[in-house]
Amino acid sequence: MAEITFSGVTKVFPGDVTAVDNLNLHVADGEFMVLVGPSGCGKTTALRMLAGLEEISSGTLSIGGRVVNHVLPKDRDVAMVFQNYALYPHMTVAQNMGFALKIRGESKAEVDRKVREAATILRLGEYLDRRPRALSGGQRQRVAMGRAIVRSPQAFLMDEPLSNLDAQLRVEMRVEIARIQRLLGVATVYVTHDQIEAMTMGDRVAVMRGGQLQQVAPPQVLYDHPANEFVAGFMGSPPMNLVRARISPSEGRVGLVVGDQRLDVPAAYGASHDLPREEGAEVVLGVRPEDIDVVGGDVTGPTLKTRVERREALGAEILVHLSVADAGTARSVAYDEDVAVARPTMLVARMAPQARVEVGDVLTVRLNEERLHFFDSTRGVTLRRECA
Amino acid sequence: MGRGALFLVMVGVAVVMLYPFWVMIVDSLKSENQFLSGHGFSWASWRTLTSTIPIAQEVGSSTIICAVSILLILLVGLPAGFAFAKLKFRASGVIFLAIVSAMMVPLQAILMPEFVNITRLGLTGGYTGAVLVYAALGTPFSVFLFATYFRGVPDELIEAGIVDGLGYFGALWRLVVPVAIPAIATVTVLQFIQIWDDLLVGLLFIQNTSERPITVGLAVLAAGRTTSIPALMAGSLVSALPAMIVYLIFQRYLVKGLTMGIDR
Amino acid sequence: MTVSTVGARAPRLTLRRRRQLAGALFALPAVALVIGLIAVPIGQAIYYSFTQWNGLTSTWIGPSTWTQAFHNPNLWTALENNAWLLLAVPFALGLPLLIAMLLHQRVIGWKIFRSIYFLPTAISWVVLGLVAERFFAFQGTLNSLIHFFGLSHVNTNMLGYESTALSALGITFVFTMIGTNTMLFLTGLATLDTSLEEAARIDGAGRWRIFRHITLPHLSRFIQLAFVMTVIALFSALFSLIFVMTGGGPGYATTTMEFLIYQTGFAQGDFGTAALYGLILFVLTAIVGIVQLRLIGSDE
Repeated sequence: MAEITFSGVTKVFPGDVTAVDNLNLHVADGEFMVLVGPSGCGKTTALRMLAGLEEISSGTLSIGGRVVNHVLPKDRDVAMVFQNYALYPHMTVAQNMGFALKIRGESKAEVDRKVREAATILRLGEYLDRRPRALSGGQRQRVAMGRAIVRSPQAFLMDEPLSNLDAQLRVEMRVEIARIQRLLGVATVYVTHDQIEAMTMGDRVAVMRGGQLQQVAPPQVLYDHPANEFVAGFMGSPPMNLVRARISPSEGRVGLVVGDQRLDVPAAYGASHDLPREEGAEVVLGVRPEDIDVVGGDVTGPTLKTRVERREALGAEILVHLSVADAGTARSVAYDEDVAVARPTMLVARMAPQARVEVGDVLTVRLNEERLHFFDSTRGVTLRRECA
Repeated sequence: MGRGALFLVMVGVAVVMLYPFWVMIVDSLKSENQFLSGHGFSWASWRTLTSTIPIAQEVGSSTIICAVSILLILLVGLPAGFAFAKLKFRASGVIFLAIVSAMMVPLQAILMPEFVNITRLGLTGGYTGAVLVYAALGTPFSVFLFATYFRGVPDELIEAGIVDGLGYFGALWRLVVPVAIPAIATVTVLQFIQIWDDLLVGLLFIQNTSERPITVGLAVLAAGRTTSIPALMAGSLVSALPAMIVYLIFQRYLVKGLTMGIDR
Repeated sequence: MTVSTVGARAPRLTLRRRRQLAGALFALPAVALVIGLIAVPIGQAIYYSFTQWNGLTSTWIGPSTWTQAFHNPNLWTALENNAWLLLAVPFALGLPLLIAMLLHQRVIGWKIFRSIYFLPTAISWVVLGLVAERFFAFQGTLNSLIHFFGLSHVNTNMLGYESTALSALGITFVFTMIGTNTMLFLTGLATLDTSLEEAARIDGAGRWRIFRHITLPHLSRFIQLAFVMTVIALFSALFSLIFVMTGGGPGYATTTMEFLIYQTGFAQGDFGTAALYGLILFVLTAIVGIVQLRLIGSDE
């Protein structure tokens, strides 16, 4: 068991493609670290460098205090779980799990004992003599886990281990993997593109994009205080609403204009955030779907007049798509593309199923004034001042 | 066409395709006189087969040549196929293409230099020369087939092995080869039939008559036109049996090999 | 925290280098074999084609060997024989296509028929040549068949005459190719999506139209492959048949390029000219081979 440190790690592929750009990340001993981001963000490359399957272009990578830049995979003492499991098709479950130990030269009895131990943890006992072909997807996934566990390595590396499972099994295995990791207390780096896995499994989550680390924090911190528009848009489903607004100072409150609607937010934001002061300066206002409420008539607080464009009933909740009246256009969610696409300002609100809204209704909605987010309109970074 | 008529046509084709076997069986079951007169049956040619044709020695030679050549083809082709598919090195693409192109070079095109080289090296005495030539001729196809097959093997399988502590040789021997059994079967069957049935290499690269493979033995006897036809037919039948048995058992691997690269 | 720097120093071999080295090492035996026994001889053949060579000593003559060779009527006879034999190719493709279509109808026992049709594929062309000799011989099956149909005054001996020997060889060649090509086409047909045929039938297409517009286009890649394999076999695999059936004769009637090489080299001991002929055969097959490579290439 050991800690893992990426310091200034960069990977440049032939053809000058920078897959990972100056990554600094520390994974504490026993910590469950999730690397999340859209495909091509460099998370898998980072994991493969850690496994030793990919060389490091610059920077240093250490496991348990030992720099491993040039250490061969087999000498790194890490175990990896692959997306497609990569089980050895010609070996039984037991042989698959014991293979690394056998290569290492451990005695047959020892290998046997460790395999049985792992099989018990994974509830694979009755399948030990089967070949991978005769197993279900979920069972194969367990074997892949088992292969990692028996080695009691310094770290587990998991590359989208659940993405080949159907939805229901995925939920089950999510819990299972988290349980086993906690049980064994081995430092784990878990790569996924699924923000739900990131939210539910990680002690901390590292969000990556375009080879660059965007933010590392415990899941709730990421959700509540995203460092930039990208993280805000990536974590949470549906994502945070991001609306372009202009600053229009008013007495005692921070005045905002969305389209031609005025929106007053508490003055406290002026203190906690590094908002621009000049009239007309642009910011991006972020508000999560659950922080939008329907209110009647005259209320105080940040409100917007909207029209219901679409209504999606999900059973436990409904998602209401609202267009902001006369709002002109808003910035699209930043992680889709870097360019802002002109389109009507839309908000998605999450409401209780009882809410009586129909398509075409004109509603006044209030944004939860405690939970507003502000981002720089050009760089996308949060304007929140660090609360030391 | 009705189903019945169709069936009759198929029977008709079957008769044509079985004709060689019929000829071999019927003509071998005659004495020389019976063969000339066209009437009667006898076991004479079978009884004297071993004295007319050194059949045991020739079948033995064929077996040894086939076994060693195929072994060599596999030993050379498997690692090369693995290398070209998974361990790209400098210029590997060009080298692979060059090797695959060698598939198209008929032995006759390089027959003279090949013969002189092998003779100068003194390898026409035993089986070595013939085995080397068979191996060289079989290697391009087997490399192509193995490389094609290994491209379908996920990289992760090998990476899992590397992380588990294997080197590349270990990965080849302990992971890749066991996974490649169907491809190995295909190469083995195709090469077995090819080599067992071949005449030219055996004729030129094996100098001692006492080391002649069966196909060469039959061809030389036939070309001499002094041997009795019934005996020749009996010998032919014996020579055809092993390849037929291999073929009937491993038919599907043969089909797979033939259509490799077009039907994936 | 103390950081050990053992792994920081660049080792002699990084992982990527190791992989490349392993790759090169693994490919080496195959490369060596192909270079030593295929590539080098091609080079030697080019050199020797300009020499007077009896296998032991060679004397440089220069390009005149080539003009001499092209003035040799035997070369033209052989090339002509090869050209005539190309007429067998349509049959070597057409008959298997028909047979494959028959098998594809899946009448009772089609699997047994399939095995029977493919069975001659396993047999040496030496043996098939011996049988063919029996078929065409004076007291052979062909004459029996002719007599059976009432033409008792006709007695053929196709292998005995210059005018017919090549045809007999061509017929035998067609027979020997049936198994392999049927196998190819049947595999092709098996990959045909039956819903296409059904859709066409619902649209009112007749048998011929279905064959012409659905089956045949689908098979085109298989037909191309079979064509290339057949032509290459025609150029380079007839040796066994010729050796046992005719020995190249009567005269030079059945001497093809590959047999001419063998004869020139081993019967006449003229290694230089034989090497030169080999190069001509090489060029001929290379043309076909390029087509083949493009087939493979278009797949990747």
